[in-house]
Amino acid sequence: MEVMDTMEGKIPRLPELFSWTDEGVRIRSAKCHDCGTYFFPEYHAQHRPDCPRENVEKVLLSNKGKLNTYTIQHFMCPPPFKTDGDIAPYGLGLVEFPEGICVAGLIVETDLDALSLGQEMETIDYVMYKDEDGNDVATWAFRAVK
Amino acid sequence: MRDVYIVGTGEHPWGKFTDRNFVQVGEVAVAEALKDSGARWSEIQAIMSGILIYGGNAGHLSGQYIEGMFGETGIPVVNVYNACATGSAALRMAYNSIASGETDTAMAVGVDMMPKGFLTAKSDDPKQDRDVLRWRMTGMPNPVYWALECRKRFEKYGDTPEDLADIKVLLSQFGAKNPNARYKKEYTREEVLNSKMVCDPLRLYEICAVSDGAAVVILSADPKKIQAANKPVKIAATTMGSAMYGDPTIRISALSAPAKAEAPMLSESYSASRQAYEKSGIGPEDVDVLELPDNSSWHYLQYLETCGFCGEGEAHKMLREGQTQMGGKVVVNPSGGFSSFGEAIGAQAIWQVVEAADQLRGRAGERQVPDCKVAMAQTYGLMGNSGTTILTV
Ligand SMILES: [Zn+2]
Repeated sequence: MEVMDTMEGKIPRLPELFSWTDEGVRIRSAKCHDCGTYFFPEYHAQHRPDCPRENVEKVLLSNKGKLNTYTIQHFMCPPPFKTDGDIAPYGLGLVEFPEGICVAGLIVETDLDALSLGQEMETIDYVMYKDEDGNDVATWAFRAVK
Repeated sequence: MRDVYIVGTGEHPWGKFTDRNFVQVGEVAVAEALKDSGARWSEIQAIMSGILIYGGNAGHLSGQYIEGMFGETGIPVVNVYNACATGSAALRMAYNSIASGETDTAMAVGVDMMPKGFLTAKSDDPKQDRDVLRWRMTGMPNPVYWALECRKRFEKYGDTPEDLADIKVLLSQFGAKNPNARYKKEYTREEVLNSKMVCDPLRLYEICAVSDGAAVVILSADPKKIQAANKPVKIAATTMGSAMYGDPTIRISALSAPAKAEAPMLSESYSASRQAYEKSGIGPEDVDVLELPDNSSWHYLQYLETCGFCGEGEAHKMLREGQTQMGGKVVVNPSGGFSSFGEAIGAQAIWQVVEAADQLRGRAGERQVPDCKVAMAQTYGLMGNSGTTILTV
């Protein structure tokens, strides 16, 4: 599998959180093989008590998961959140990945009124704004699987 | 360990005060507590003070600034921060200092002057401060976290928009009668349901504001001070909890949570409350007044369950049956709650204890719960911080 840190003029707003791959956008995580815990972000460890913490491996989460819960935010989040224009109302959800971790993110390209818990979601990128160098600055986001 | 009593309390009314600094706000509460206790300033043997994280150098050394106002005496002055449970930490340290015999009389101080509007990131380094991620990558102000959990309750237990609105109605009725409250308007269900949707299903009036305010308690084990006090209140337990591995709650500032629960929701609050029940020998069935952290209507329902006042999924039943009102099983937030006061991070946990003590001392006026013998104050702090205090007369 090919893993890329940028994609056709798109760059992540902050590094080490997600990657573009030939199997879709994937959230970057780390797995502790000693206690079985997945971390997000990968550099924020949260081990089980008394874990020896010796065998931690960087991994990519599956591209698809289930909607654990969601909300619709009706006001624009204040800075440092930044998008080209006011995107409110916007969806936010928690997606449960088969690895056993839920990750939060924007819900885009989806009919927000039709969301239901448990439905299948996929990880995609979402361009928030264009920077001074002309790059499309992106974050990860979730979209309902049709 | 010996018995410790609250011998004096003080509050500065809550609101937004642009014409004074935090020391001036704190001064009012400290002076009131001293007067209430009959103690002189120079008799205070330790000060445990909440940190104002938005207050710069002075805010981080709030105890020293307060001490300077009243006169420096060389005693231990310790400043502490545990998010919205900051006051619980200050109170617990003051309690332990006395219970262990190190001091006889000590003070816990909470003052805060909050910035306007939403609270946002306090640093710019995501590697150090995970909180930066949610502000830069996902646009998640605090109420979003509560809405995400609230949505699950709707689905799982059948809580309704009317339940959320009715909580605001109840709290506003209490707040209207509390002279120190910031918001004194009584709301109807329709008014609440017509307020702006903030993050579905939470509406504007179902989420607390941020305020400036101060609260102080003076604790003592000195028999003379206890005897001289105007209705002393015994601290049956004051505890703190942190989160437990496997807690499924999506915690403010985090962007992930375990999919499989291996600990209770809000495990820090579960832990603090269970420690308090064990230490005091008092259970939820004994509590007459509960001051819980109503940052939103979701919290009101969830905390009744987290603290064991009813079973999982039963909180809306307690609400609908009037079990949380005057004459019910436990009167919840007769102070008017954060809903009527707003939250002031460094002060709110001590404020809850002052309001709970007022009920035990028969000082609550029109809001007085008859025959109040046991009161409990429960806090909720970001990133797994919680404190529980149980008081008796
Ligand atoms: Zn581990």
